[in-house]
Amino acid sequence: MKQFKLLLRSPWFVFGAAMFLFCIFVGVLYPMFSHTDPLLRGALPFEGPSPDHWLGTNGEGQDMFSALLFGLRSSLFVGIAAGIFATIIGTIIGIVGGYKGGWVDNVLTLVTNLFMVIPSILVLILIANSIEKRSMLLVAFIIGATTWPWTARAVSAQTSSLKNREHVSLAKLNGYGIISILCMQILPYIMSYVFMVFIIQMATGILEEAAISMMGLGPYDSVTLGQIINQAQKTEAFSNGNWWAFMPATVLITALQFSLYVVNTSMEGVFNPRLRKES
Amino acid sequence: MADAKTISDPSKVLLTVNNLGVHYKTRFGHTVQAVDGVSFSLAQGKVFGIAGESGCGKSTLVNGVMSLFIPPLFYSYGSVVVDGDDITKYDSEKLRVDILGKKISMIPQGALNSLNPTRKVKHFATDVMRNHEKNLSKAEIYERLEERFEAIGLDPRVLNMYPLELSGGMKQRVVIGISTLMNPHVVIADEPTSALDVSTQKSVIRMLLDLMERKIFGSMIFITHELPLLYHVADDIAVMYKGKFVEVGESDQVIFRPKHEYSKQLMEAITKLSTTGERHSEGARL
Repeated sequence: MKQFKLLLRSPWFVFGAAMFLFCIFVGVLYPMFSHTDPLLRGALPFEGPSPDHWLGTNGEGQDMFSALLFGLRSSLFVGIAAGIFATIIGTIIGIVGGYKGGWVDNVLTLVTNLFMVIPSILVLILIANSIEKRSMLLVAFIIGATTWPWTARAVSAQTSSLKNREHVSLAKLNGYGIISILCMQILPYIMSYVFMVFIIQMATGILEEAAISMMGLGPYDSVTLGQIINQAQKTEAFSNGNWWAFMPATVLITALQFSLYVVNTSMEGVFNPRLRKES
Repeated sequence: MADAKTISDPSKVLLTVNNLGVHYKTRFGHTVQAVDGVSFSLAQGKVFGIAGESGCGKSTLVNGVMSLFIPPLFYSYGSVVVDGDDITKYDSEKLRVDILGKKISMIPQGALNSLNPTRKVKHFATDVMRNHEKNLSKAEIYERLEERFEAIGLDPRVLNMYPLELSGGMKQRVVIGISTLMNPHVVIADEPTSALDVSTQKSVIRMLLDLMERKIFGSMIFITHELPLLYHVADDIAVMYKGKFVEVGESDQVIFRPKHEYSKQLMEAITKLSTTGERHSEGARL
């Protein structure tokens, strides 16, 4: 609670969190109340911004404002779900390897290193390409399954330094099982760290989704920010100077990344004792 | 399950350690025999003291007695018999469920730092009970916890506190309370008072003896390098040197009439107040 109050005193944290929460708020609420279908071709292609279409239309004559906010919701969903998948997979692998040590850690570190040296975007493209019907959840899982290694490595390092603490020994001596030790003795200690990792994974998820959607490998069942840019690319909006077809989506992706980055660094300033400022 | 309230089987031998040997394996494949042929037994209501210099194998012996063989520590030979069973033959899961915390419990060296600062005392204590008795309800657990904390002279409100809110002596009591929750046959106290001031040391030891007298636990192995302290606590004392018991006897005999040369040296090394105004002890000059 004290640390949360410290966080709220950080203007950068408040700024980043407000920006991200505003995006979530708009992304969730607009599609609930809007009656505009973002896929409806209701106007001429590449109409500029006007009172009827605040952000103009794309090459297919679809309203860009609606597409942008529906896309925001989908990108947030994929990013958050990918962040959850990556954090869960990485935390389980890291905490088990770090605690068990020995050959278990060696095998898990080998797997982690293998995933780390293979560029995740390549794996992502290959997997996405081989699956025909890619739902948002599936895309999120694929992203999560390829971006967990950094989480695993960081959690493993933290766990191996914690496993020899006296409170873990006392738990062992009193008959705690391995799951109880990991969940009750070690995880609470690294929870703030895991949460910060989750924020970074979420940002990675949003970015990776945009990357594969730009290549036309995104989810088939919705509009996403990456798909808006892909659409602009296919209809040559870049070369024709139709900035409204791609710029708002680009700005929104950048804003989401920036807000999450700012939240993460300001949290690190509070949770990391070496960076903590006296107050 | 052992009797929930107290241990009640007088004159029973609770633990027999027979010719126990344990060794460490170094990363270069060498073997270091850290405990070599140690034997003793412990009856209900008795305190067995183990003394020796740092590095002589006292804490390793504790791991051996609890059959906690975590690499690089390995079992060599001998047996540790609890309730007629040799627990060195148990696998780690059976040891965890049937022995640790339930029949043999330990108050570790760094007891002051042994509580997880991120969790309230009651959560730690609840987990210990749940790990052994899964069917206990929350109300039953809290009732038993409050009863036990009152028995060790702590306000039950301590259960709702974080370790950071407790003093050193209170933390020590909490650790003792948690380690004796399941009424173990044997409590191993590994230098439990080394980090405490003299007056708190006294009250903690008095509390341990009181708990044993009230049969909340059966017997105790008390490990320290402070021989005078052992004299006040233990019925029998073993002096350990290079992994072996070089002398075992009643506390009076070991303290005042030590037979082995090493025991004599250990006694002579005790710092005494000089009547001539000299500031250094005999031992310090050695």
